[in-house]
Amino acid sequence: MKKRFGIVLAIIVALLLTVVPLGQNQSAQAADDSLEKIQKKGVLVMGTSPDYPPYEFQATVKGKSQVVGMDVEIGKKVAKDLGVKLKVKSMSFDSLLVALQTGKVDMIISGMNPTPARRKNVDFTHIYYQGGYSIVINKTDLAKYKNKDSFKGGTLGAQTGSTQYNAIKKQTVGTTSKGMTSQSDLILALQSHKLDGVAMEKPSAEAYVSNNKQLAAIPSNFDLSSDATSSAIAFRKGSTSLVNEVNKTVDSIKKQNLVKKQYLPAAGKYLKTNTVNTSMTHYWKAFLTGIEYTLIITICSVFFGFILGILLSLARMAKGNPFKTALRWLATAYVEFIRGTPMMVQVMFVYFGLGLFVNLPALTSGIIAISLNSGAYIAEYIRGGINSVNIGQTEAARSLGMSNGATMRYVVLPQALKNIWPSLGNEFITLIKDSSIVSIIGVTELIYQSNIVRSDTYRGVAPIVVIMVLYFIMTFTASRILNYFERRMQHD
Amino acid sequence: MTKPVIEVESLAKSFGDNHVLKDITEKVEPGQVIVVIGPSGGGKSTFLRCLNLLETPTSGKVAFEGQDLTSLDSKSVDSLREKMGMVFQSFNLFPNMTVLENIKLAPMKVKGVADAEATKTAHELLQRVGLEDHAEAFPASLSGGQAQRVAIARALAMNPEVMLFDEPTSALDPEMVGEVLNVMQELAQEGMTMVVVTHEMGFAKEVADRVWFMADGYIQENNTPDEFFNHPQTERAKDFLSKIIM
Repeated sequence: MKKRFGIVLAIIVALLLTVVPLGQNQSAQAADDSLEKIQKKGVLVMGTSPDYPPYEFQATVKGKSQVVGMDVEIGKKVAKDLGVKLKVKSMSFDSLLVALQTGKVDMIISGMNPTPARRKNVDFTHIYYQGGYSIVINKTDLAKYKNKDSFKGGTLGAQTGSTQYNAIKKQTVGTTSKGMTSQSDLILALQSHKLDGVAMEKPSAEAYVSNNKQLAAIPSNFDLSSDATSSAIAFRKGSTSLVNEVNKTVDSIKKQNLVKKQYLPAAGKYLKTNTVNTSMTHYWKAFLTGIEYTLIITICSVFFGFILGILLSLARMAKGNPFKTALRWLATAYVEFIRGTPMMVQVMFVYFGLGLFVNLPALTSGIIAISLNSGAYIAEYIRGGINSVNIGQTEAARSLGMSNGATMRYVVLPQALKNIWPSLGNEFITLIKDSSIVSIIGVTELIYQSNIVRSDTYRGVAPIVVIMVLYFIMTFTASRILNYFERRMQHD
Repeated sequence: MTKPVIEVESLAKSFGDNHVLKDITEKVEPGQVIVVIGPSGGGKSTFLRCLNLLETPTSGKVAFEGQDLTSLDSKSVDSLREKMGMVFQSFNLFPNMTVLENIKLAPMKVKGVADAEATKTAHELLQRVGLEDHAEAFPASLSGGQAQRVAIARALAMNPEVMLFDEPTSALDPEMVGEVLNVMQELAQEGMTMVVVTHEMGFAKEVADRVWFMADGYIQENNTPDEFFNHPQTERAKDFLSKIIM
């Protein structure tokens, strides 16, 4: 019976969460003040996935890493014509549509094709760029492959969620399709012969080939509608006034052929400066930022997780009146729910889901999500620790006149803590590593930074080796420190 | 006669279908040393634990200095427990604290006694139980006899009116029983009111004012040690005494 209550609760919570966003969409459609809102706000937030040169990518400009590319130039022009400032927010391509729907960004410019499926969920402007697909292959295979039909029995890769990925799936026979999140991972997989070819937008393919002598591009020959090879700007569904205004900008860009004349050459310049110095030491600042954020997230999350864990474990042991029983059920439902769902989903839920009500920055969202997650696990450790303390200890303290609370605080918890110290240490070290999950919402922790360095330098393996060593240094140091305190607590 | 320190009226305690205490009505007068003896499983420990409400009675009353503990809220029970020191069979010292910290904890956290004063009292108590040179030791390094004497000092630090002993020597090696009993005997001579559950018949004979013989959930006999050991009244007591080596 108790268990069932928890399940029902979880279902109710889940239902509530699915209902809320729907309601928001409808209200947005009813009153279209999208243009006014942006102009009032004075800032236009552009979402993009900066691993798609020359559309958008990370480059070091005057010693600072920033997002550049043809799409960013378009974004600047759009903002300028609307009379507002542009703010670029980067995240993974998969997260972009959710971010737009939940108000994390105002528009998406990320080489996004306005497919019919996407049109159902967002509004697109006119097409600002008509490209095509190419397939990037290893130069040594140039004789072997002619187009998409040459890959029978082989494997073709593309960015997950992209139209190229769907094209491979639908329009090739006997070819395995493989999706990855980032373009640089795909290229790495190609070079290490995990893939035989990578399908991508023509300009991207050209950028990669011109920067890497071992690669070559061949025509794809996919049968494509104009929708699939074109890029447009996405806005929230129902923002007709905003879309109409931006269409003016898009039309003038096309009329003056600004993309080919100005934007692509500008992007190309960044690509060139990018490959000058690709040694890992050149990027020490990027890695340092990564370490800094990884540690901030871990330490904050362990701290808040620990406090939450104590409260949850006490709530899980509450007994007596109906209020305490309800508290126990709630805490149990929470722990079960958190342990039963992936941390990645929780991170996205806090960032995008809670984002509907309060606009939390990515770092804060990440810390909240990981604290909430870690709290559930720590609660179980603490509960186990408290149960491991002999009942005689409690009786001795109570017989001395100590209250329930004082007994817990001065007698039971210190001993419980000692018993569970190794488990807590494990949790801390796990968190150092698991904090990498927040890279999906664009927090500049170590994994995220290494991805930037990878797309910056076109070097696939070196940054991975660097962060592997850095992670190990951090976890090893942490485990030494924890061992030191464990020894100090040994009295028997 | 003065007012009784502890009064028990129609006390009963069950664990599920197991009726451990059935109907107990007794009094403890100030300064009295009561020794509770009887066969194992007769409810002696449960009875003792009901006196300071470590076990909640199923029915009946337990009054301390006229106040019925079973009718009080938990805060008042906490403050009355201060006045009833308890010593356990398994010592229950706090293993993560030194001997001194064990003794100081409750006076400082419950009564708000200052550190310096608590330390001074703790040293005096350690001297009293003959362990002043073990103040900085951790419980794990003590012998059973030493640990139990520290436990007694810890209970005395709260300045209790009554001391409850729950088989204080049962977990000890035979050669250490004496040092603990000596401390208890000294306490009794100083006039401390004590309720002692024990199998030490020698202690009962020498120190007790009254012997309560407990079996099958009842106090079967309440007598002076001399009368009880030499002229037991009930068959149950006779049977019990015939089985132990005196």
